[in-house]
Amino acid sequence: MIPSDHFTRFYNEVFKFLESKGQEDLELYWLEISKNQEKHILDLIKTKGLQGMYEYWSVIEEEENCDLDLTVDDDHLELHMHGCPSLAKVMDNDAAPMTRYCDHCAGWIGPIMDKTGYHLVYDAISRTEPRCVMRIYKDAEKAKEAEKSVQLLMGWPGKQERG
Amino acid sequence: MQKPLETPLRYEEEGNVHLDFHGAVNTTIDFIVERYGVEVLHEIFAKVGKDVYVDLRRHLQAGDPNEMVRHWRHFFTRENADYDIAVGEDEIVLIVRHCTAYHHVAKIAPSVSAHFCDQTTKVNEAVAEGTPYRIDTEITGPGACRQIIRRRS
Repeated sequence: MIPSDHFTRFYNEVFKFLESKGQEDLELYWLEISKNQEKHILDLIKTKGLQGMYEYWSVIEEEENCDLDLTVDDDHLELHMHGCPSLAKVMDNDAAPMTRYCDHCAGWIGPIMDKTGYHLVYDAISRTEPRCVMRIYKDAEKAKEAEKSVQLLMGWPGKQERG
Repeated sequence: MQKPLETPLRYEEEGNVHLDFHGAVNTTIDFIVERYGVEVLHEIFAKVGKDVYVDLRRHLQAGDPNEMVRHWRHFFTRENADYDIAVGEDEIVLIVRHCTAYHHVAKIAPSVSAHFCDQTTKVNEAVAEGTPYRIDTEITGPGACRQIIRRRS
């Protein structure tokens, strides 16, 4: 058994292999993970919208031992990750980190938001610091406005340019 | 007399466990096997064994299988598995009666991959490769196995 605590270090090895095959292979994998995650989050979004997302990431905060702040209001959800255990473990690793490790988060979340009609703005800030800011909007214009102030904007498979 | 303090494991963990990661491992195994074949999956597990678990390999190379035992105890206990470890003169045997990873996946996924337990078999093989020890894995049932550390003859 690879302990669940060590999943991210396994994930890192998978990413390195897929990156060697090409961007399309990496994106197909993110889509597969996205489909896998649907069973944990899709019903929550469909039935409770932003509040359902808040519930999902509240569980993640606790189970994955994240240092984060999470807020929600009527038109958006905002997650400030101050200490990402996933990237932190990949960097505290005897194996080399995959240089674009952070890209997988938007890679699986973005397609779910597209599918449910929400608008993701994912700021990774830096791929070597275990922190990021994720904002999810009901309104596309507000997402477009928020994109103007990000430091490192993440994309995902099928992402459309906003305006 | 006081027992000497043990040094922490290289990847010691505390806090909560997120068992759904085992579901993502299951999805990943099926994805890799379907697109690239089982040999590639085994190569990735071998990388985990050799490149991630460098410290476990270092201990085995130095003739110390006890670090592997500590690793097993730490993580099987964290995941609340039903297991025992018997440390004998000639071999160390881990018996897993209820593997938390396997049974969690059986609960949340449509099916457990036919290659799910390859993660154990192949990572064990890779950790022990080039050391004075072998780690053999015998699958004894769904979510049950024996893992045996023996000196190579």
